[in-house]
Amino acid sequence: MKPVLLSPPKPEAIEVEPGVWSVLVDGASFELRVNGEQFDARGLAFVVETEETAQARQRASRGPAKIATTMPGKVIRLLVADGDTVTAGQGIVVVEAMKMQNEIKSPKDGVVKGLKAQPGSTVTAGQTLALIE
Amino acid sequence: MFSKVLVANRGEIAVRVIRALRERGIRSVAIYSDVDRPSLAVRMADEAYPLGGNASSDTYLRIDKILEIARRCGAEAIHPGYGFLSENAAFSAACAEAGIVFIGPPASAIEKLGSKTAARRLAKAAGTPVLPGTEEAIADSDQALEIARAIGFPVLLKAAAGGGGKGMRAVHQASEFMAALRDASSEAERSFKCSEVFIEKLVLQPRHIEIQLFADQHGHCVHLGERECSIQRRHQKVIEECPSPLVAQYPEMRQAMGEAAVRAAQAAGYVNAGTAEFLVDADRNFYFLEMNTRLQVEHPVTELVTGLDLVHLQLDVAAGLPLPFKQEDVHLRGWAMECRVYAEDPESFLPQPGKLTRFDMPSGPGIRVDSGVYPGWTVPLEYDPLLAKLCTYGATREATVARLRRALSEAYVGGIQANLPLFRAILEDPRFAAGDLHTGFLDGFKLPAANVPAEVAAAAKAIPSAPVIAPPDGRASSAWKLENRRSLYR
Repeated sequence: MKPVLLSPPKPEAIEVEPGVWSVLVDGASFELRVNGEQFDARGLAFVVETEETAQARQRASRGPAKIATTMPGKVIRLLVADGDTVTAGQGIVVVEAMKMQNEIKSPKDGVVKGLKAQPGSTVTAGQTLALIE
Repeated sequence: MFSKVLVANRGEIAVRVIRALRERGIRSVAIYSDVDRPSLAVRMADEAYPLGGNASSDTYLRIDKILEIARRCGAEAIHPGYGFLSENAAFSAACAEAGIVFIGPPASAIEKLGSKTAARRLAKAAGTPVLPGTEEAIADSDQALEIARAIGFPVLLKAAAGGGGKGMRAVHQASEFMAALRDASSEAERSFKCSEVFIEKLVLQPRHIEIQLFADQHGHCVHLGERECSIQRRHQKVIEECPSPLVAQYPEMRQAMGEAAVRAAQAAGYVNAGTAEFLVDADRNFYFLEMNTRLQVEHPVTELVTGLDLVHLQLDVAAGLPLPFKQEDVHLRGWAMECRVYAEDPESFLPQPGKLTRFDMPSGPGIRVDSGVYPGWTVPLEYDPLLAKLCTYGATREATVARLRRALSEAYVGGIQANLPLFRAILEDPRFAAGDLHTGFLDGFKLPAANVPAEVAAAAKAIPSAPVIAPPDGRASSAWKLENRRSLYR
């Protein structure tokens, strides 16, 4: 008599609905939703990197990155000081535009350089507030 | 009872009212702006007519267009939903003049309760406790500072015609007062074309607890218990629950607040559904804030716990029927919670209009979803980005929270960002679990970051359509580069 297999011998993925995958790994069941470069599993969202996006990220992480505004507005507060060491995703400055406050975050790990804006000062669209080196 | 009712609204509330009308065998009429032509409300209604244009001021706020459609299609009554014209006394009066029943309070009651200062005066006269503050709009800024000193800092400046946090300023000391007064007045003028501002005692870390009221045309007015709406962002509610964790602990508060709310409503000659909003301080003192003279967004939690259908009751009352129950017949049973699912960034709260590719909502025991969207629908940028209200119901608060956690694990919004990750994070907050709530709960709230669990990464690798990364050094690599990538908790 052949033994009963509790689960397929290797991870098995089937697309149950467009963009929705049911995956079994050693009997553990996962549902993954894929949407472009982003996928969701168990309430967590992840970004998938392709060679192209990975290279772009590496290029960006080498040179200095700009902390810039997208809309004209007003600086509400600074979350770091000039010369501080920051990590990717850390808030640098809060700018208010269209009655909404926006936290501008660091795109990379590095050191804050040239942060001169004061709370209350107005900024134009695209203005560079600091560099992350 | 009416045979045809026009729904003067859009989105989930239009769908909610159309459902009630269908349950009662009443023909439903939707109205729509250009971008709302493919909306769920239009798809579900028995009849639908165009307003022409997209801006709210050209469409859902146009009393003339709406009454013209109602006349021509033969609607006997209009349900205004919430927002738009729902608390507009001129609309209620125009309906009455046109011989069409406005499903809501008479114009006189909306007028008495519409301005926050007027509502305050009326409530105070009816013996309902109000926050220490001015009854008249501020005329002179020096005099205003004296009043603020007498009340005691901190104080709050509020636009008389306000809402949604506009024209509102907290002032913690006398030196900040004049600048804050100028800001609040000019913001009130810009937002509401009325610069009137009044001063109120600022309660630090208050709870927002409101009482649902119902009054018929025969002088009966009852309250249907409370809702706690302390979880707010930008002064707008995010999660609501019934009962309130605080009132559940001190049930004598329910009777006291309920009776105070009924007194204020009766003093205004109120009819139909309404909500009295209260602030509650750390010593459990409650203060009347304002009356919302309409059906509330969060009415489903009251429905789940009372077993009543508030839209059916609105129809009955508007048709002249007496309320079919008395105060002593109202019982709260179990616990309900509502999450307002918005198309917005879960951290910055910025709206995210766009096309929904997927819209997966939970089902199963104790779940209620009031949605106004479907996969393929484009969320317009013209209006409020509320997609759906996700409610759960259980025997206890713990059971309801556990059920909500389960429900959120089944929910998914694709194509645009939604605030589902915010709810998941709030439910993990020990303050929320303990019922330790106040309106500043979300100030500085951060979504936790999480690393991709190894088992999830392994599962992702099994998907054949995953993009293959050709590594620079030519070594074989995993199809999905997931390890060590921080991601948002969703």
